[in-house]
Amino acid sequence: MGGFDWEVIRTSLPYLFKVGMVFTLTLTVLAMAGGIVFGTLLAMMRVSGLRSLGLLAGTYVNLMRSIPLVLVIFWFFFLVPYIGAWILREPRPIPVGTFYSALITFTMFEAAYYCEIMRAGIQSIPRGQVWSGFALGLGYWQTMGHIVLPQAFRNMLPVLLTQTIILFQDTSLVYVISATDFLGAASKIANRDYRLVEMYSFVAVVYFILSFGLSLLVRRLQVRIAVVR
Amino acid sequence: MPDAMISIRNLSKWYGAFQVLTDCSTQIAKGEVVVVCGPSGSGKSTLIKCVNGLEAFQKGEVVVDGISVGGPKTDLPKLRSRVGMVFQHFELFPHMSVIRNLTLAQEKVLHRSPKDANEKGMKLLERVGLAAHSGKFPAQLSGGQQQRVAIARALSMDPIAMLFDEPTSALDPEMINEVLDVMVALAKDGMTMMVVTHEMGFARKVAHRVIFMDQGQIVEDCSKDEFFGKPRSERAQLFLSKILQH
Repeated sequence: MGGFDWEVIRTSLPYLFKVGMVFTLTLTVLAMAGGIVFGTLLAMMRVSGLRSLGLLAGTYVNLMRSIPLVLVIFWFFFLVPYIGAWILREPRPIPVGTFYSALITFTMFEAAYYCEIMRAGIQSIPRGQVWSGFALGLGYWQTMGHIVLPQAFRNMLPVLLTQTIILFQDTSLVYVISATDFLGAASKIANRDYRLVEMYSFVAVVYFILSFGLSLLVRRLQVRIAVVR
Repeated sequence: MPDAMISIRNLSKWYGAFQVLTDCSTQIAKGEVVVVCGPSGSGKSTLIKCVNGLEAFQKGEVVVDGISVGGPKTDLPKLRSRVGMVFQHFELFPHMSVIRNLTLAQEKVLHRSPKDANEKGMKLLERVGLAAHSGKFPAQLSGGQQQRVAIARALSMDPIAMLFDEPTSALDPEMINEVLDVMVALAKDGMTMMVVTHEMGFARKVAHRVIFMDQGQIVEDCSKDEFFGKPRSERAQLFLSKILQH
């Protein structure tokens, strides 16, 4: 490994983290937040007992889970400008930009997975909890918001976070629409300086440390928050 | 009965093709304590859940304080907020403190101020002898204590009637009495109560009437003395002989 060039890593650190990692983390956090909100709504539709709502949400979830993520990224990247134009009644496609395109894609895609997690969480809450909320005069949304969802969310927090670690890794796929995420930034320098081994090794190590470190934290959290009933 | 608080008329309910309730009719007057008993699977719990609309029914009518439970324009949450209910498995909210369990619905449904709700809650916890536990979480309490909190929670809404769905069935024997004591006190205060239970001691002590159900039908509906004197139906006689010989 005599030819391993540490210098190229050192000099590119500011660019890699300030541009690339900021993009990756912003995308991860926002897509997680949006995905959990949207996914929870989908989950509520699936457990609502209303056939049409359940079918709609079920179709969406199954569709998203049956298509490769790369394809969805492409698909949204080229389609969203047209949808935007259609909504705003503009004659030409509206440029959305790689970041927002990626954000919409990941929110929509991850929502399908978060939905299934939240659905399991909601179904793990005993029926009697809903009954006792209703019996006190709370409405559907109040019972969901104060009683069912907080418990479901808490029970499922480790799984939600594990899914988010997967999301964190998956965001590197925005590479295909030439976004400058952490991997994209490293790739640009690798190709510019012809230092592929150094850059891709470094990126792998950073992804490993962050993902593995987070999963250890999740495991510790799991032990701590297990709800005593 | 002119001042019926709860009136059930020709109530029938099906789960798919299976009929769980068949033509049930009874009335509960204001201040009356009625015990509903019968073998498991006889439809007691289903019947009591129809009273506050937790279970839907297909035929008949349930009227609570003049309001039809199944009516298309009935504000069910509002009606339910006026009828307290206590469940077999307590169903306290495990992620909230004991006092929060008592204040949540007061604030969200009755729009009481946090201060008023808190005062009311503490007063009721005192009444069931658990004021010292207000800051604890339900899981830190024994079953009997949890059920007393559940009763206090229902009372915090100032209900016009209370429904009890097997309130002592999930309790260890030594905890049953602490819950029954609270219920007896409530009955003596004049609360209108419909109680699904196998506690015949409770029935003897405070019930005005006993309803006996079997296979989704009301088989006996008579005064306490008549019921314990000699029930008319063979089925009720058999049931009583089985649970009273212990």
